Amino acid sequence: MTVDPNAATQGFPSPEPVRRPAGAVRYLVPALAAAAVAVGLGVYGRVHDPAGTAFNLAGFSSTGAVKSWLATTAFFFALVQLVSALMVYGRLPGPRWASKLHRWSGRIAFLVAVPVAVHCLYALGYQTYETRVLLHSILGCFFFGVFSAKMLLLRSERLPGWLLPLVGGLVFTALTLIWLTSALWFFRTFGVTT
Amino acid sequence: MKRPGPLITLLAGLLLGLFMLSLNATTGTEAVSSTPKKKPPTVAASPAPTKTATPPSPSPSRVSVPDASYAGRTDDDSSAVAVTVRDRKAIAYFCDGHAKESWLKGDVRDDGSMRLTGKNGDVLNGTLKDGRRIRGTADVGGGHYGFTANRAKKPGALWRATTTVRGAKLDGGWIVLPGGKQVGILTRDGTPGAAPPIDPTTGAVTVDEQHLTARPATP
Repeated sequence: MTVDPNAATQGFPSPEPVRRPAGAVRYLVPALAAAAVAVGLGVYGRVHDPAGTAFNLAGFSSTGAVKSWLATTAFFFALVQLVSALMVYGRLPGPRWASKLHRWSGRIAFLVAVPVAVHCLYALGYQTYETRVLLHSILGCFFFGVFSAKMLLLRSERLPGWLLPLVGGLVFTALTLIWLTSALWFFRTFGVTT
Repeated sequence: MKRPGPLITLLAGLLLGLFMLSLNATTGTEAVSSTPKKKPPTVAASPAPTKTATPPSPSPSRVSVPDASYAGRTDDDSSAVAVTVRDRKAIAYFCDGHAKESWLKGDVRDDGSMRLTGKNGDVLNGTLKDGRRIRGTADVGGGHYGFTANRAKKPGALWRATTTVRGAKLDGGWIVLPGGKQVGILTRDGTPGAAPPIDPTTGAVTVDEQHLTARPATP
């Protein structure tokens, strides 16, 4: 990945309202935000000296187990996301509250994923010593970038019809691959433990 | 400003992330050590998240001794040595990967030198230079070895696992050398042998088809 030396300090861009809905700004701001978030997280994970371990939750044998279950929760809500999105777009029969379901399952999935990512970045960092680990590191950064883009895109209107499904699909695909390269690996290696 | 919802979601995530991070930064280092340890006396009660616990009051004669771990080989390339320093206490592991091993402990003096002692009269003398490497000698099992150990990345170069699997007492020690090569010995009921490799970030290791987790060794 190419590292923009200025990106690390950017983090989230200031919530600049898109005054002129016309023009490339509508796409540029989410795209830049996504890049800044992804690169920022990656650079932090790479530069920050991983602490090795962090706090644990009561009732779990290891942070790995906590993270795996949180990630599995996020993945479950991601599946709800997929189904409810199909309902919103009329590809599946669904209730009238499908869009509400989509919104809230997404929020939960995102908020559940955040502590996992914090632990990953704080305790383990961006690592490359194995294909699984490398993929996971890249996708983890990518996920939060593309999720930011999705959230910011939602704020503008009259987008091309294919854009949100595409970006949403990327978010879902990224989360699925992240789950496969972490929680599934954990459960297969250590057994389905709590 | 059409829909504030997505932005609120993002901000909530950001805030949650920052909250967890500060929680980690303030409590995370405590959880590293399995042994209870004294907190370094801080002047004022500042709950601000400090990333690394810097040793208090570095007076001129006192070299700074960062909490870190070091790993390297003996000069004759026969064995590996790892040292982990925390709060000016050190634990060291000498290991040839087959049969010869020794755990040594002691204090780090103000000038950065240390004399660590183990069982059967094993001694390790070393000096921390620039906070980057430890150069010294080890007298283990009748042999005399010079060694150089370079500072290792977290979570560290020195790992230990002690447990009982199906009635067999297991005691494993691992050194992860710079470059990723591992040297370790697993003692089963008092019989030492080469240890299976561990995951250098999580300490996960499979012994006799059992999944164990080695922990970073701390003084």
